[in-house]
Amino acid sequence: MSQLREPGLDRVVALVMRVGAFGSFFIMLAGLLLGLFVEDPIAAHLERLGVLLMLATPVVRVVVAGILFLRESDWKYGAISFGVLTILLLSALFGIGEH
Amino acid sequence: MLSALLVLLGFFAGMLGALTGIGGGVLLTPILALHFGIPIRQAIGTSLVAVITTSAASSSIHLQRHTTDIRLGMTLELATSFGAAVTAYLVGYFNRSVLEGLFAGFLLYGSLTILLRRGKVKDQEEIPPKNNGETVIPPYEPQRYPWGLAASLVAGGLSGLLGIGGGPIKVPVMFIFMNVPLMVATATSNFMIGVTAAASAIVYYRRGDILVELAAPLAVGVFLGSLLGARLAPRIQTKYVMYLLVAIMLYLAGHLFFHVFTGGRTV
Repeated sequence: MSQLREPGLDRVVALVMRVGAFGSFFIMLAGLLLGLFVEDPIAAHLERLGVLLMLATPVVRVVVAGILFLRESDWKYGAISFGVLTILLLSALFGIGEH
Repeated sequence: MLSALLVLLGFFAGMLGALTGIGGGVLLTPILALHFGIPIRQAIGTSLVAVITTSAASSSIHLQRHTTDIRLGMTLELATSFGAAVTAYLVGYFNRSVLEGLFAGFLLYGSLTILLRRGKVKDQEEIPPKNNGETVIPPYEPQRYPWGLAASLVAGGLSGLLGIGGGPIKVPVMFIFMNVPLMVATATSNFMIGVTAAASAIVYYRRGDILVELAAPLAVGVFLGSLLGARLAPRIQTKYVMYLLVAIMLYLAGHLFFHVFTGGRTV
């Protein structure tokens, strides 16, 4: 049933991507501009926050899509989303202590 | 001053990426390594942030046009994100010369492929049929999932290894083997890149291989560049942009090989 278009699903997922991309863009831009004028650690914090938000956006997108699949009782794709999320979380665990 | 230069570099790479369909990561990693003196592993991690930015910006546009197959994308993401996480982890044990050599080989292979196709991005340019401004996609059912998953595993592995998106592998496989319309294959591949790059970027970040002070200005530039590129794309002869891209890729491949053989002493 993959070819079924679901404008609702598309719209919500697109919203997540747009909020994440624009949000982190403006946060990073604020950090850059602040860094131009003042020597303040807040500028570096803003840049880090923006980068982390960018990394988190795809993860949030997987969570939101998974919830939407479960809400329409689409267990198969709910499970697939959960699988992708598990891989993402494992990758975070395996990154620890690798300096 | 350095930040301004990085914003410009990101803008240029993002625009080229949006115009040619070849993501900015291919250019950013070697430029960071060769011209900014960043160790290649950190150059890969840093440009992964730009790769996610491009995917997030462009896939929200594709989603609004309803050309993305979210279910197919999520299924293949099982393979891409797994491959990406594994190679991102392994990269921690690779030495610099191996990574630089691999990247140079990839650049050489990529530019030769484009030249052999005479600068054409796609073999068949599908013109989406319009119906009251709505994009109409012919009905299809994805087939041969094992092929798609295998190709996705390779694409994901390359993504984690070199910090690239892997679209040139996934799009033809979805189109030719899985019976997915080209327009949908392109949008879905783009959609998958965000999660794939995130799976490896998280590993790079935890290892300290993402330099935030470089990633932020690059991502700001890439975001603006890819938005402008997406608007310009229909009005520009992409063939000449492709040749420009090939010239830059060949130069970077040569410079990387030189870098490997001289043991890292830059010219």
